[in-house]
Amino acid sequence: MKRLTLVLALCLTATMAQAGNSLIVPNQSVAVAKSPLTVRPSGEWNKLAARPGRSSETWTIDGDTLNCLTFYGGIEDGRTLFREVDKRGKPLPHFSSTMLLTDVPGLVENSYRIALGTSLFQVGKIEPVTLAGQRAVHFAYDFVSQGDDLHRKGEGYAAIAHGKLFMITFEAPALYYFDAGIETARQVVSSALLDSK
Amino acid sequence: MMRASWPRGVALLAVALASAVAANAPKSKLTALPPYAGAYEPKTVDERGVWMEADEDERKLRDSKFVVKDAALNAYVRQVLCDTVGADRCRGVRLYIMRVPAFNASMAPNGTLIVWTGLLLRIRSEAELAGVLGHEFAHFEERHTLAQFRQQRFATDVAAWASFFGAYGAVVQQAAIGSIYSFSRDQEKQADLRAFGYLAASKYRAEAEADIWDRLMDEADASAAGRKQRSQRYDGVAFFASHPTSLERSQYLHKLATTNGNDGEDGAATYGKAMADWRGEFLGDQLKLNDFAGTEYLLGQLAREGWTSELLFARGELYRMRGNPRDLLSAAQFYRDALTKGSTDPLLHRNLGMVLLRSAAIGEGRQELEQYLTLRPDASDASMISALIEQSRTN
Repeated sequence: MKRLTLVLALCLTATMAQAGNSLIVPNQSVAVAKSPLTVRPSGEWNKLAARPGRSSETWTIDGDTLNCLTFYGGIEDGRTLFREVDKRGKPLPHFSSTMLLTDVPGLVENSYRIALGTSLFQVGKIEPVTLAGQRAVHFAYDFVSQGDDLHRKGEGYAAIAHGKLFMITFEAPALYYFDAGIETARQVVSSALLDSK
Repeated sequence: MMRASWPRGVALLAVALASAVAANAPKSKLTALPPYAGAYEPKTVDERGVWMEADEDERKLRDSKFVVKDAALNAYVRQVLCDTVGADRCRGVRLYIMRVPAFNASMAPNGTLIVWTGLLLRIRSEAELAGVLGHEFAHFEERHTLAQFRQQRFATDVAAWASFFGAYGAVVQQAAIGSIYSFSRDQEKQADLRAFGYLAASKYRAEAEADIWDRLMDEADASAAGRKQRSQRYDGVAFFASHPTSLERSQYLHKLATTNGNDGEDGAATYGKAMADWRGEFLGDQLKLNDFAGTEYLLGQLAREGWTSELLFARGELYRMRGNPRDLLSAAQFYRDALTKGSTDPLLHRNLGMVLLRSAAIGEGRQELEQYLTLRPDASDASMISALIEQSRTN
């Protein structure tokens, strides 16, 4: 009986998760990460029900291990980028509203290193850009996650507005998927708007 | 089963060591090691199974991007191992240095020796490294993994490594102090004694092995206190449970040193030289773990003979990353101290400039950033720093 309940519970969870994933249709503005940040993708994306944290949301084309576009819609002062899995044993660094844009790549790096348990993470070129009309930082990075030992490349765009961190990152395996998906991701980034209300 | 067996093992070891005493002019009273059996093939079903898993793990390990391939570093660590256990024992060992910022070393039953870079950062001398490597080799030579496997199937180092490379998302323990050895207390003591034998017969000072333990436990305490956790130092569970207590360990190792002699070299200077090119990198990995108190303790330990510009820079980074207003002021001071000590690292100016800007010392901050760009005009973040300078003028 106990076994049957367990199986049933697992199925329900799976169904719910499946029901939560949804299609993002092209050429329509959509608010992301339950935030004032909106984007208008020119192609189809899949929005995953599972979210890395309270103020974030993940889109993918082929699956989140192959291409992963993540929106962070206003990380508040004192908050972490991701949901903390082991707050006591492996606490994540916090965003601070006094951070400079140049501090953001470091915050991303340290959060990834701890969350993924990896020591292979490097930040590459850091440049000034605009994101949703705000002064922003663009940074390239690459890392190897411990589970699959796979080399991934990433690109991040981050702005600090009203004391909150707004960021979009795209990452994919360095072999094929990053180059194949980066332009599509950049189009989404370039369409971003931030409601000033 | 295990508890009943070790006194006999230790007795055999003692006999073997004692019989060897007369053979050579001793550095210590314990000299020549028992002869090494050489190539060994697994004999039982259990053992073949353990070896098969270890071989499979090694195949994955060999191709892992986490392995540090640097030839000089590998040759150095191997040389210390060979100097410790002797050329014939050392010959069949495959060494893998893994880029993981935690203190760990392990040896699989098929002769795969794994050393994490966090261990290399914390070790102070060749003799200490020899102590750890000797201890791991002792587990290997005594075939403890097999005994442990029989006793508790999943409590082996092999299993720990299988989970390292296992299911997607599996995360290795990144706490500053990992579970260095997952053997029973009896096996630990047995390995300690045998490792002491290796060191006594080598050029190294045998007692060095005991020195590491107090520092590790102090660091674990500092991490726990910083994270508002209670110390696990005397816990009957987790990491230290499988080890003799520090007091017990310290007592029997000191006693051995007293009775058998404690001559030999520490090799602190040669170790420092061998690690010179790597310390900055390993420190960088440690700093990014968000373990303020543990890292502060570790930096204090590394700086026991004075704060070098490299350590001051690292301390500045630690405070900058925590980023409280008071931390930013401290960080600025550490960066300045590093500059005073003669460091020419352009990153010092960059990061000093950033903490000054965050501390509202705009003019000074801008000067430092400009200095950074002068020293490194083609830096990967040059355009961003230029933008920051411009922004600081308009704000």
